[in-house]
Amino acid sequence: MKEAAISIRNLKKSFKGHLSIGRIEALRGVDLNVPSSGIYGFIGPNGAGKTTTLKIITGLIFPDEGEVKIFGKPNSEFTARSNIGFLPESPYFYDYLTGEELVFFFGSLFKIPKKELKERTVSLLELVGLKGKEKLPLRKYSKGMLQRVGLAQALISDPELLILDEPMSGLDPIGRREIRDLILKLKKEGKTIFFSSHILADAEMICDEVGIIVKGKIVERGKLETLLGKEVRFWDISFRGAQVPLELSQKTVVSHEDLTMIRVDSEEEVETALLLLQSNKSKILSVIPHKASLEEIFLSSVEEGKNDKQN
Amino acid sequence: MTNKIDWLFFIKQITSISKNTYKESIRSKIFYILMAFAVLILGFAVILSFLTIGSQKRIILDLGLAGISFFSVMTSIFVGIGLIYVEIEKKTIYNVLSKPMPRSLFIIGRYFGMMAVLGTNLLAMLLILTVLLAIFKGFTLMVFYAGFFIYMELAVITAIAIFFSSVASPVLSAICTLAFYLIGHTSSTFPEILVPLLHNQFEKKVAIALFHLLPDLSMLNVCNLITYEIPIAQGFTIRAIIYTFSYVLVLLVAACLIFRKRDLV
Repeated sequence: MKEAAISIRNLKKSFKGHLSIGRIEALRGVDLNVPSSGIYGFIGPNGAGKTTTLKIITGLIFPDEGEVKIFGKPNSEFTARSNIGFLPESPYFYDYLTGEELVFFFGSLFKIPKKELKERTVSLLELVGLKGKEKLPLRKYSKGMLQRVGLAQALISDPELLILDEPMSGLDPIGRREIRDLILKLKKEGKTIFFSSHILADAEMICDEVGIIVKGKIVERGKLETLLGKEVRFWDISFRGAQVPLELSQKTVVSHEDLTMIRVDSEEEVETALLLLQSNKSKILSVIPHKASLEEIFLSSVEEGKNDKQN
Repeated sequence: MTNKIDWLFFIKQITSISKNTYKESIRSKIFYILMAFAVLILGFAVILSFLTIGSQKRIILDLGLAGISFFSVMTSIFVGIGLIYVEIEKKTIYNVLSKPMPRSLFIIGRYFGMMAVLGTNLLAMLLILTVLLAIFKGFTLMVFYAGFFIYMELAVITAIAIFFSSVASPVLSAICTLAFYLIGHTSSTFPEILVPLLHNQFEKKVAIALFHLLPDLSMLNVCNLITYEIPIAQGFTIRAIIYTFSYVLVLLVAACLIFRKRDLV
């Protein structure tokens, strides 16, 4: 079995409170396993502990307790970072450098021969769509361009694992789509992508697996299809019939000539409705279950997380 | 074999950080502003030399070296105090330290980059001074000997600035580094002048401890000796080099140890 890309056990971290009074618990025992393929979405509301977790993984801050392994190697060893590419949230780069100089500089911190590094710099800037802009100083780059040059520097060592902190935040819809497409392209190339986000629509579109963090604790995790398949919110039943049974008239959503669609909230109600319709000689056209969206799972997880903390 | 390759890789990483630091300073405005002030001082030295009779060379040399030393130290302090802190504040450090590199290499790389900037700066100003002296028929290669001592002083000041930059804000770092600079030029007088004035045994011990702890920058000041052509004692240069090297080493090791476990929030 292939080693997990990231394995986190009982990660705890607290920071000094305001005016150094007391301590604020940012992580309260995070456990996470990121498999070594696909796209893993690490989602949670602001202040949930996403960036803190990512900073611990990349060695920027140190945990109070717990352990982090990257491809089986403890992250406390700096060599564990040789196989990861990291893009921090709203990346700040040396604005006196050009895009080309920046990517080359970060590449020079890896064991890459100079000639190869030059070639990779050129091809990566092309890959992220910055061909022709590579000689511009970064202070002249737009937010989207900075995000793309950030991705290029994260990819310079051709890492197996990419860690992206809110890669789509602050971008316009076109910029978000470009980054999304790029992430999907990288997945196709066999890279593992671990990214944090609070933009659920983007996460839902590209993630294979998600972990939801609320108030420093993972409250939900798993394959997206499994999570979304867990609960059905409501069922839409369409039928053709001259008359809608009285018991179902309150549930009617749409009715046009002899076509009607009703919406029910539980399996028991579906069964009841079907029996009524059959006895009414109506022709049932479809019964469509509507599963929860990631947003709904997320919101209910946040609510549960809050209650959990209060208890 | 593996160790050797790692050491070479570390040197490569330090060089990359140094080169980037060099580019950063060379492309910043403060560098050119301080450089312009230094050139102004050299011009002022020439103007002042016209007002004196018979000692034009000495005035240019004296004021020139003092001006170069002062503005180099100011560059060292005001650029040096931001070397680590500003990287953390601007979050540019996140990308660098998430790479497979021990944190101490970042401190060392920043230090050497800054020393390269100061070296370029100093060399340019010394060349201007040499040309001025040559015009006024006072050419002497001892200018570069003085320059070497100024550079050693800058090495100590930059190490102090980088040490404070890794633990404190730029304002606090500037105050502390300036205080070290000023006290550093008077600390040599502690045993002979300050200690006899103290009555309490504890105060005397503190003064002696401070004398050993604070830098003795007067040991690195040869400008007066050169201006007034006073012979330099044998072993003076070697002693100064060993002192500078040891002091810088202790400060950089301390900065690296503190920075090693610092949370970058």
